[in-house]
Amino acid sequence: TNGSAEESTATTATTNDSEIKTVFDDPDNFNVKHPLMHTWTLWFTKPPSGKGDNWNELLKEVISFDSVEEFWGIYNNITPTSDLALKSDYHLFKKGVRPEWEDSQNKHGGKWAFQFKDKKAINIDALWLHVMLAAIGENLEDEEDNEVMGVVVNVRRGFYRIGLWTRTVGKALPGEAGKGRTFEQGKEVLLKIGRRFKAALQLKENENVEFSGHTDSAHAGSTRAKAKFVA
Amino acid sequence: ETTKPVEPAQPTAGMQALRSARFLQIRNEAVNYPDGIKSPNPALNQNSKSKGRQYDKEFLLQFQEVFKEKPSIDWDLKLKETVGDSTDSARPQSAR
Repeated sequence: TNGSAEESTATTATTNDSEIKTVFDDPDNFNVKHPLMHTWTLWFTKPPSGKGDNWNELLKEVISFDSVEEFWGIYNNITPTSDLALKSDYHLFKKGVRPEWEDSQNKHGGKWAFQFKDKKAINIDALWLHVMLAAIGENLEDEEDNEVMGVVVNVRRGFYRIGLWTRTVGKALPGEAGKGRTFEQGKEVLLKIGRRFKAALQLKENENVEFSGHTDSAHAGSTRAKAKFVA
Repeated sequence: ETTKPVEPAQPTAGMQALRSARFLQIRNEAVNYPDGIKSPNPALNQNSKSKGRQYDKEFLLQFQEVFKEKPSIDWDLKLKETVGDSTDSARPQSAR
């Protein structure tokens, strides 16, 4: 409309483009923000109430964001992992991917994961934060890898577990003929991602992250599927 | 429920700044960060194919104490509907 066109001209006229003000210059009056490579969505799984609620109703989309500043606004105003009830999960996934095996973009994929069995010995809030920063800062994969779908933290009675979901298990996907990597190349990409995930978790050399395919886990009827790769 | 604090009716200055700020073009714009603030690690964004949107942990952590605005004025309500009220859910449930 005319009104908004005039308004935007007026805004341009009064804004000096050369004057870049970041949140570090003025947190109440900054005019630029730091873009992320992807838009990310934070999800939460509520613990079951014990009244036969189905899992779909327990999985809630919290918020999507695409800047560094917005990430911190959310992180600084949300329940820390260490305060969550047992059987809660946070999931941070690329926008448009549901954090479920059944999502068409996850069904050929798998995950790297590590269980922290001594819950008191670690700072789960710092570990989860560092994994989220590695994801949104794009430190887990190279731009052309196109493997990382999201990261997840599970709060359970005997452990915390942090996972990283990948699009494939190293095999080319149906319908991607020609674009696909050989299994050896695909495996190398996954191992590289696993090593970066391990570094983000600040694990010792002898503490291994394990990779398994989602369908292996589904068929085993348990989340303890046989590990395909370790890093 | 009558003692609930009243939500502010207007977004804060920080919320408005976040909404109206434009995206930096990291590869094309040189930012002079204030003294003591580290720039993103340039090595991460040297690849010519890169969009310049990779950030190292040390750079990202600098925002933690600087930007603490809630994402929206109705955030507390939204949080209650999704993550739940941490004050009840964090309590271990009685087995009775």
